[in-house]
Amino acid sequence: MSELRMPGASAIGGPTAIQVARDREDVLVGNEIIRHRLSTRVVHWTVAVFFFGALLTGMPIWSPVFGWMAFLFGGLSVCRWLHAWLGVAFAAALVLMFVLWAKDMLFDKNDKRFNVFEYLKFSDKEDPNVGKYNAGQKFFFWAAVVGGVALLLSGIVLWWPALFSQGLRSASILLHDLAFIAFFVAIVGHIYLGTAAEPGTFQSMTRGTVTKSWARLHHPRWYREVTGGAKGDRS
Amino acid sequence: MALQGLEIRRSSASLRGGGTGLRKLPTVAKYIDTSTCIGCKACEVACQEWNDLPNAQTSGPSQGTYQTLPTMTANFWNLIKFREVESQEHGLQWLMRKDQCMHCDEPGCLEACPAPGAIVQYVNGIVDVDPEKCIGCGLCETGCPFDVPRYAQSTNKMAKCTLCVDRVSVGLEPACIKACPTGCLQFGDKTALVEAAKHRVEQLHADGFAQAAYYDPQGVGGTGVITVLKHGDHPEWYGLPKDPTVPTTVSVWKRVLHPIGFVAMAAAVFGAIGHFMAYGPKKPKDTSKDTGGEV
Repeated sequence: MSELRMPGASAIGGPTAIQVARDREDVLVGNEIIRHRLSTRVVHWTVAVFFFGALLTGMPIWSPVFGWMAFLFGGLSVCRWLHAWLGVAFAAALVLMFVLWAKDMLFDKNDKRFNVFEYLKFSDKEDPNVGKYNAGQKFFFWAAVVGGVALLLSGIVLWWPALFSQGLRSASILLHDLAFIAFFVAIVGHIYLGTAAEPGTFQSMTRGTVTKSWARLHHPRWYREVTGGAKGDRS
Repeated sequence: MALQGLEIRRSSASLRGGGTGLRKLPTVAKYIDTSTCIGCKACEVACQEWNDLPNAQTSGPSQGTYQTLPTMTANFWNLIKFREVESQEHGLQWLMRKDQCMHCDEPGCLEACPAPGAIVQYVNGIVDVDPEKCIGCGLCETGCPFDVPRYAQSTNKMAKCTLCVDRVSVGLEPACIKACPTGCLQFGDKTALVEAAKHRVEQLHADGFAQAAYYDPQGVGGTGVITVLKHGDHPEWYGLPKDPTVPTTVSVWKRVLHPIGFVAMAAAVFGAIGHFMAYGPKKPKDTSKDTGGEV
């Protein structure tokens, strides 16, 4: 991985950013900051794979408009079977994500100042007190957790309709549907903000690193915490 | 499913589905007179035989009832329900009613079904399942106000009474009707059978059953089974819901949440594209500091 070696690190012959990012985060390596260690990224993509698996097997069941998606998996009967198991896998991955990420996602007093409409103006007037995650990201995390629980519980009822009452089944149809629609909208926003809208973000979930200027722009307090007084390679 | 050249009137999960409406056929119906049913179960046997269904292990006698099974199953589509009802007015009543798919004019199962063409309604009103298209999700069970569809683990399909569409489409009456020894079961054009039911209800009125009525619930657009009840004011005594409708949630889901969902999904995608065009990417203005390692 010498081609990935950054100037700052290679100059002193220390580990490269990608090597450090295997088990550490919130550290500066050369000119890069490790934002997500390997385990964080693996959890994220595990959740993502099962999410999209469940999404693509669920949408053809939701509406015949998306019936063509069923052919990706071998037909609607396969989808009906696979969707349930992918849903379970998604929920399991979500539990793991919750355990590993929850403490970083607790709201603090700075988050009260967050206004999503102001934020989306991209005015560059970022609150200097925004830490590693802004309030919008934290909200997305908690919404995903709540939505995931709603999908799991209603999904279990829909999986074995004979075991539950008509009222519970009817409620589950609506809950599953509402959670799905909310998730779809949220995931579009999530992908947009993580790729095209904010360049430099996507690599934090692949390589695990961001540039200093990225951190300074989007997460000023986190940037100060990571770089601290240390102006060298790593804190 | 035994589609025998019958045109389809309605088809599940088919946005622009339905028949061409070119070939008109009268709506057919079963007529069940519970007041002359003797509970012989010939209809149950005929149903099993004609549809080549495996023999059911009866459980009734050990439960203190004549009823063959506690409920219909995926292999048992026609079940006479035996009920003992006590009331001040009539004392102890032993009521029996042949139960099967009601072949609703507005079938909740068809409305709830997500698999295109898995549940169809033929032009003569018969509601049928196509096992080849059924995905075994069980949503029809939630859509049905009469608790009729049964999911079979062994086949991963739903099964229910077909109103012997294979017999009806070639001009025969359903097997259960053919087997009935008392004539309490009849089959034919629904309008004619409604007249017969009205006539029978008048007879029952004259016989002292002032509340006699026939059951053809309009909440599901009427059913393909017309049931004459001595106690028409108490359909629940016979195990029939008083005012059945397609569950509101199923209608809300398909008719309200679906459109909302499509709009929300499109709004999210086009909103993101529009936002990108209006506000552009948010990126660091000055990246020269990146090389310095300074704040």
